[in-house]
Amino acid sequence: MANGWAPIIGLVVVAVFCGSAWFLSPKGENQTIWRSTLVLSAAAMYIMWAITFLAQLHPLISPIKGNLRPEVDT
Amino acid sequence: MAPHKDTMFRSADMSLTQLYIANEIGREVVSGLGELGVMDFRDLNSETTAFQRTFTQEIRRLDNVERQLRYFRSQMDKASISMRSIYDFNNQFASPSASEIDELSDKCQSLENRISSLNESYETLKKREVELTEWRWVLREAGGFFDRARGQTEEIRHSLDNDDAPLLQDVEHHGQGEASADRSFSVMNIGFVAGVIPRERIAAFERILWRTLRGNLYMNQSEIPEPIINPETNEEINKNVFIIFAHGKEIIAKIRKISESMGADLYSVDENSELRRDQIREVNSRLSDLASVLRNTKSTLDAELTAISRNLAAWMVIIKKEKGTYETLNKFSYDHQRKTLIAEAWAPTNSLGLIKSTLSDVNDRAGLSVPTIVNQIKTTKTPPTYFKTNRFTLAFQTIIDAYGTIKYREINPALPAIVTFPFMFAVMFGDAGHGTILLLAALAMIYYERPLQRAKLDELFSMIFYGRYIVFMMGIFSIYTGLLYCDAFSLSLPWFKSMWAWDNDGHGPTASRVEGHTYPFGLDYMWHDTDNDLLFSNSYKMKLSILLGWTHMTFSLMWSLVNARYFKTPIDIWGNFLPGLIFFQSIFGYLAFCIVYKWCVDWAARGQNPPSLLNMLIYMFLQPGTLEDPKAPLYKGQATVQIILLLMAVVCVPILLFLKPFYLRWEHNKARALGYRGIGESTRVSALDDDEDEEGRTLNGGRESFGDDEDGIAMITQDIGHGEEHEEFDFGEIMIHQVIHTIEFCLNCVSHTASYLRLWALSLAHQRLSIVLWDMTMKNAFGVTGIAGSIMMVVVFYGWFVLTVFVLCVMEGTSAMLHSLRLHWVEAMSKHFIGDGVPFEPFSFEKILEEDPVE
Repeated sequence: MANGWAPIIGLVVVAVFCGSAWFLSPKGENQTIWRSTLVLSAAAMYIMWAITFLAQLHPLISPIKGNLRPEVDT
Repeated sequence: MAPHKDTMFRSADMSLTQLYIANEIGREVVSGLGELGVMDFRDLNSETTAFQRTFTQEIRRLDNVERQLRYFRSQMDKASISMRSIYDFNNQFASPSASEIDELSDKCQSLENRISSLNESYETLKKREVELTEWRWVLREAGGFFDRARGQTEEIRHSLDNDDAPLLQDVEHHGQGEASADRSFSVMNIGFVAGVIPRERIAAFERILWRTLRGNLYMNQSEIPEPIINPETNEEINKNVFIIFAHGKEIIAKIRKISESMGADLYSVDENSELRRDQIREVNSRLSDLASVLRNTKSTLDAELTAISRNLAAWMVIIKKEKGTYETLNKFSYDHQRKTLIAEAWAPTNSLGLIKSTLSDVNDRAGLSVPTIVNQIKTTKTPPTYFKTNRFTLAFQTIIDAYGTIKYREINPALPAIVTFPFMFAVMFGDAGHGTILLLAALAMIYYERPLQRAKLDELFSMIFYGRYIVFMMGIFSIYTGLLYCDAFSLSLPWFKSMWAWDNDGHGPTASRVEGHTYPFGLDYMWHDTDNDLLFSNSYKMKLSILLGWTHMTFSLMWSLVNARYFKTPIDIWGNFLPGLIFFQSIFGYLAFCIVYKWCVDWAARGQNPPSLLNMLIYMFLQPGTLEDPKAPLYKGQATVQIILLLMAVVCVPILLFLKPFYLRWEHNKARALGYRGIGESTRVSALDDDEDEEGRTLNGGRESFGDDEDGIAMITQDIGHGEEHEEFDFGEIMIHQVIHTIEFCLNCVSHTASYLRLWALSLAHQRLSIVLWDMTMKNAFGVTGIAGSIMMVVVFYGWFVLTVFVLCVMEGTSAMLHSLRLHWVEAMSKHFIGDGVPFEPFSFEKILEEDPVE
């Protein structure tokens, strides 16, 4: 499953996506907009995902169940 | 000049063009260019007043026609005839010929005369009708008075003779003296005045009469049940009929005067009931005649207005265009013989071909042998900034333009903002459910774009509609960030296998890690509804905002490198960009690195408590070279690295402060040593003295000198020079500027990084608010079962949904949007934005009609 290599794999995937977005963007006067929007979106989404992933890679605290009701739990 | 494509990345390449237009076709050429809408004409007669210009007469005439059209419009509104909508016309209002305009103006003139005469006669007739109506009421009511009064003549007489009798005795004893009913008033020399007076004046009227005549009168009045309409103001007035009996001619004359001054209308009434009946009959027949005439007039007027309404919108558009054309023509100047018009205009270089073909088209149509000449002229003037926008980019461009006009050919911050603006919003707004609502709303607005564009929208909604593509992007990114936060309407989304398992066979209260498994996408859903979820999500979101802020600011800072390279000012790279970048990275880049590094290390496996990053940063500044806990560094050699970084940052400050001003001074002194002077200076360098310096001029190369070579005066053009005036070199000013820039940059590195923490704060607030809303409404509704439960469910669901849309989506969304706006305007754009551009304002019929829509 997902381990420490995931962000690197994700980076490769995003890089490939960005590369193809650069070359496959529809030609015409809006090409720049297509390219920048696709590449930037992919980058922004990747960064946020990677941050979230890394934050949980070696978590320092673990969840503690809330709303504990003894009569249910015992 | 190789024509390359204009993109949104930089503003379009502009050229200053000069047009020589034959006088005869000036109007046609300009209106053709107005349809194109790509030329920003410069005012060549700025020193003349509006009255001295060539085409003032025409504009005045068009103003008059416009006034007439507005008059028709107001008349149509009065008659509640709707104008045929502008969108119902098929043709796009091709620019009419001059003779058609003349025709239109004549037509408008005659129509105005006709309508105003019709209106006038209608109003006169209406007035007559009101008078007759009032008279009829007087006649009708007066009959009653007479019948009553006649019975009381005896008492009236009696009371007149007897001073001691109470004045109103007659009122108290009426219904007596039937026997003397036939006695005429005239016999008793009693006269009377009858008329109509507004109801609110009646009390004052009575009092005044009573006082002036000392009670020598007998007054009777009654209310007219229906309100009378004043034809001039179209207001309804309640009126009373009155009739006053009094003794003696003098008194009657006095009463007449008083009533007229009080605004009463007097009508003649005959005291004989037979004659009165005849009068009523006559009035009635006259009224019905009048009504039919009125109907005819009204229908003629309506028919006339309806005929106008069919074309009014088109006429208005034509006149607006024509006026715009002449206003533009007023900016042109003439040659010496006044045969050709000379115009100067900024136009996108890529549109020059289109402009030329349009001009030759106009020429061909006019059948003129003299062609219109288009010249490109070189100039040192700053070209205007122009971005071609489409439906999608318009709103983003507007956001950036609202902050400041972008410098000509500078990087356009709107291009990255297409993504970063909605993304920053989504980080604060992260909730997949709310994101879906936004996305659906945006899709609906995009789907019904056409009808909504034509409809009249209120202010708030039209603003949202204007930004529909921003909302669209916001929706998409909000769904994404919502998935990452694992929130949909504050509920969790258990899509993957959790990385936690509850201890004690799933009873908790503690959980332990599933070995070697990390939750693959977003936050683990197990954190929902735990005791310490805030502890975890706060730490995560705070670091997320620091990292995103660092990324965004570094990204923006890079644009300043691109700008400096494009404008060929290497000093901006060495004196501003590089030291700034090193300063920023050695402090906050290091912080970002430490955050990621700390995450990547498995502290539990090391058996070590991780050091606090906040304290690390504080120690780095306050006690360089020491760590909070020297035995447990974040990594080996941490203290040394921190000292080096700190030194790098400190060294960058003087470089940032002094390099650029001193370089500029050195450059300026070098130029002066070679004999160049600014053109504003009194000592001019003539070509004769300058021969040996010819080399020096070429040394200055890379920059074009647009000097007037015949005079032999070299002109040092600088990019900072605007218009005709070149700035003098002033070292003090540049130094102050740079000091401010340095202080600002260094302080802003700190405050802007802190400012990105708003991402954390807003997203936390949004999440908590949606949890509270859910817990207080839907959660309770789920608790109730049975029929009562279903009914409650429906009611509560509506309440919850309405609150979700208005509070969480509209209100919270607005606040998140404003925060995202600030992050772009202040935090990101301060890193690279130059600004001080001149907006491109082309002469375009489309724009004129947009600003002042016909509807």
